[in-house]
Amino acid sequence: MTAESVWSDRLNPIVVKELRQAVQSRFVVAALLTLLVIQLAAMGLYLLTGAGSILDFSAGRNAFMMLYAILLAVSLIFVPFYTAVRLAAERSDSNVDLLFITTIKPRGIIAGKMAAAFVLTLLIFSACMPFLTFTYFLRGIDLSSIFAALGFGFVLVLGCTQLAVLLACLPMNRAFKTMLGVAALIMLSGLYIGILSWIGRVLYGSPAAVDEFAKVMTVLLLIIAFLGGLFFAISVAAIMPVAANRARVVRLFVTGAWVLIGLTAAIDSQVEKHHGAVMGWQILFNIVFSASLLAAVSERDHPGPRVLRAVPQSPLKRALAFLFFSGSANGLAWTVTMISLTLGLAWGWARLFPGRNGYWDLAGSVKWLGGMSLFFFCYALSGALLRRHLLKRIETQWTWVISAALMLLGIILPATIGYLLFSGEKWWTEDLGPWFVGNPFAWGVKNHRNLYASVAGVWAVLAAALTLPWFLERAREFYERPAMKE
Amino acid sequence: MQVEVVNLRKQFGATQAVREASFSFAAGQVVGFVGPNGAGKTTTMRILATLDEPTSGDALIDGVSVVEEPERARGLVGYVPDSLPTHRDMSVHEYLDFFARAYQLRGSRREQVVESVEAFTNLTGIRDKMLVALSKGMKQRVSLARALLHDPPVLIMDEPAAALDPRARIELRELLRALSSQGKAILISSHILTELAEICHAAVIIEQGRILMAGTMDDLLAHSTPHRTVLIRVLDRPERLHRELLETPGIERASFAGNEIAAEVTGGDEACAALLAALIGRGHPIIEFKQQRANLEEVFMNVTKGAVQ
Repeated sequence: MTAESVWSDRLNPIVVKELRQAVQSRFVVAALLTLLVIQLAAMGLYLLTGAGSILDFSAGRNAFMMLYAILLAVSLIFVPFYTAVRLAAERSDSNVDLLFITTIKPRGIIAGKMAAAFVLTLLIFSACMPFLTFTYFLRGIDLSSIFAALGFGFVLVLGCTQLAVLLACLPMNRAFKTMLGVAALIMLSGLYIGILSWIGRVLYGSPAAVDEFAKVMTVLLLIIAFLGGLFFAISVAAIMPVAANRARVVRLFVTGAWVLIGLTAAIDSQVEKHHGAVMGWQILFNIVFSASLLAAVSERDHPGPRVLRAVPQSPLKRALAFLFFSGSANGLAWTVTMISLTLGLAWGWARLFPGRNGYWDLAGSVKWLGGMSLFFFCYALSGALLRRHLLKRIETQWTWVISAALMLLGIILPATIGYLLFSGEKWWTEDLGPWFVGNPFAWGVKNHRNLYASVAGVWAVLAAALTLPWFLERAREFYERPAMKE
Repeated sequence: MQVEVVNLRKQFGATQAVREASFSFAAGQVVGFVGPNGAGKTTTMRILATLDEPTSGDALIDGVSVVEEPERARGLVGYVPDSLPTHRDMSVHEYLDFFARAYQLRGSRREQVVESVEAFTNLTGIRDKMLVALSKGMKQRVSLARALLHDPPVLIMDEPAAALDPRARIELRELLRALSSQGKAILISSHILTELAEICHAAVIIEQGRILMAGTMDDLLAHSTPHRTVLIRVLDRPERLHRELLETPGIERASFAGNEIAAEVTGGDEACAALLAALIGRGHPIIEFKQQRANLEEVFMNVTKGAVQ
């Protein structure tokens, strides 16, 4: 057996298939050739019009920014679009289903798609690299800046591709996916302009931008890595068969990232003597966990036999497994545990080092995000109670829609009632705060936090009390189930 | 090798797609899975292929549970869905090579398997054709070839003959016969009952998620119709025989056209044999006496009510 065939055998079959198809695709070849022609034409025009004169010490920078903008625009649209459309088309018929009865795992499918996107991006960037490195000879830009910008752009394209893959994996109809795609495109446009202007400010020597370059780059790369990983985990869960333990991969990833980023934030706080990183950690994860509450109530009420067959036998492992297994009760237990831990640790850290910079910001953010999470808890549980007792015809997977509708009502209704009844009163215009009582995002209004906390507190206790019998029943089912083969 | 479906139940919300379905079949058997649209055929087949999970009950493939050990069960099943391969920019050979890789076939073994499956399904001549350029019949063969790559002892085929032209149907039938003679157990659903009757050894009839009848074709035909029709051809005087038959106990009805008489006999093979002996004893010049078999369509119409969920 030749080395080539051994290597070919070891490759993920999805990568082999995707690359074979990409090579045969006229669309890919046309896109690549068009990009090269545009780059060549832009560079030629730039030089011919004399803009790139050797007397101009920023000629290299200008040319680089022009070519970089073209490369980033094409790659940010083409690679995510090409990868996502192909995956969505495969998912709309039985192609993906057929893969599940082979030895390929859902993780392998998404990893294969991303690896193929990686190679495609590499191909595009490699093809454009000669033009971009040529700008070095026009002066005004050094090679390290060129490669740093290219490297960052590369990672950004992959991050956006992972987002596109996630959208393609979501079990929604084409219209809804298109709407989400348009929303993602608008977001992408903003990101594109922001990244270009930031790199421009660094290259053109804005002192603040240059000083902060390494820090901003690190934070951005960390965010891309976290979101990329999260989108990867959710994509894997989304294409898994309904019968599988879909939630585990997402919960394990988020818990791992929570620990890692939390440790990094704590170390940064120790080194910098500032609470900023810990505050960022608690804000990021409380947002993720609050959103997870809506996902948790939309999970299956009863995990199927295939999920339960993997329940460990040891009571301790079984208790821990309860948090990480698919199931609505399991999801609620995990999110509530993680929210409590995040808030508790952030609050404890602030109290442990009260003299550090950013203490008040951290303490304030804990109250704000804690309040927000409490409201999310109330809406999620109320939505689930409504579905279980009054809207039984609605499937469990749509519980989040009921909860979101309740949240919308909670935000709009009190303010509308207040406006209709008291809009003529003078005090109404002076203090609108009390009318934001159902709004989870209004906890920034500090002088009414007691009111918000009282309402949310009573509501949460009631919702939890009504949910408790159902929760205990699910927990009992999980703990008492005899374990199958592990 | 035995496939056993035991009290299988599948519920989607308030709808019971499959209700306590039980049946079994063995190696070398081609079993027709018959039922109106929405009867639960595809759901049952997807469960057997480990793509869906039953709400309760189980299916055992050679003793391996699709619920408890889906990973092992997958190796024993080849599944041909009702949709055809749609990959763009991919040739027949690349498609099969991709799935062979997905089944972890390596190196020269993979090449060997793909080539032999292509040869068996008569795809060698079109292996470099793009999938999108193929006719439905050819795509169906590609789909079957894909399901055979890992040499599964059980084949589950969902409506493989749908939308195929007569030639493609005949080719498919020949392939299924060849697979059956290799000892594969084949469960095949189809709406074309005459087609099924020709190749199936047994059939399972399902309606509204319930198994109404299951057994060998002979059993089904015998149980679903309480009488047999015999065709009797005599050398001469058919009217005399017709008259006598109408007076014979156990004959429900009789009619004649030319020298041929059709009589409906109550009872099984014994009643038919007794009738033949009696007629010969009475000196009728019988030159042909044969049972006319009820067909699967009649059985299906007798057993089902045409209700859907």
